[in-house]
Amino acid sequence: MVKNRREMLAGYVDGELSDEERQAFEAALAQDPELRAELEEFKRLQEVTGVMQYADLPDEVWDNYWQSIYRKTERGFGWILLSLGAIILLCFGLYEVMRELYVDSQIPLWVKIGVTAGGVGFIILLVSYIRERLFAYNRTRYKEVIK
Amino acid sequence: MISEGNDKTMDTDMALVTEIRKGDKKAFAELVERHKKTAFRIALGLVGNKDDAFDISQEAFLRVYRSASTYDEKQPFQPWFYTIIANLSRTWLRRRSRRENRMVDLDDVSWLLVDNRTPEAAVINKEKVADLRQALKELSFEDREIIMLQHFRGMSYDEIAQLLSIPKGTVMSRLYYARKKLAGLMRLKNGEK
Repeated sequence: MVKNRREMLAGYVDGELSDEERQAFEAALAQDPELRAELEEFKRLQEVTGVMQYADLPDEVWDNYWQSIYRKTERGFGWILLSLGAIILLCFGLYEVMRELYVDSQIPLWVKIGVTAGGVGFIILLVSYIRERLFAYNRTRYKEVIK
Repeated sequence: MISEGNDKTMDTDMALVTEIRKGDKKAFAELVERHKKTAFRIALGLVGNKDDAFDISQEAFLRVYRSASTYDEKQPFQPWFYTIIANLSRTWLRRRSRRENRMVDLDDVSWLLVDNRTPEAAVINKEKVADLRQALKELSFEDREIIMLQHFRGMSYDEIAQLLSIPKGTVMSRLYYARKKLAGLMRLKNGEK
């Protein structure tokens, strides 16, 4: 049983009330001119929305719909491969730079310490960020769909 | 439900998502074919622009494809899919509009049209149609959503309750307040003329 008579108005207009609710609502309607005015307003609203429909798209757009999505899924795979390749190359480059840095006796110690501190700081921040994202990922249902 | 169908349709949707998880593109193509027009119309009702609704519907399918592995098989497909479309629409509106989650006026009056096949269409006041179109744009996202599902998708309260994961009483209550606001906005526009 719906408590609020005014809220029942929506159900009455749409024929969604049970017999008991409908009878109770009609009894209230007979005694309440404001409620009757609201009912008329809702009916007028339905008259307008009843003749409206959403626009459609031309057939050729629908014919090409799947192809467009398919191309995007392929591009997604391409991006994954590209990112993977870039990460591998970046890691290798960093390894080479760090190796040169520590082997080369010409480079002052304070530069080596500075670069090491910066590198360790970056790794800590990266790990922390990844951990936070994983934490949120494991606790959110349908996480991919929420932006 | 949001797409025309029955329990069998729902079972098939879930089976298709299970196949998509395994990387089956044919299953994905079938799922797209089944729901593409519905996805477009729902997005259109939420954002009020055909081009953007088209992009949102496509992005929604890509999300389904990418996140099929996280789909909870115990839950029906359509509420999950609807959530994806609604979230994408919300994000789009937030980016485009200063007023949070409100439609922006992109001069696209062709997103909501008079259905000339109905006998009532011949006598409908064209100004009222324009007022309705504009008033819908001014509603909040949640109000427009419930109006769209009931008035334009023709869904029952039970179907809306299932889709939005809310009690039937809440559907009734939300519809009442959304209609009140919509009627108020239309009255206001009528009074302004």
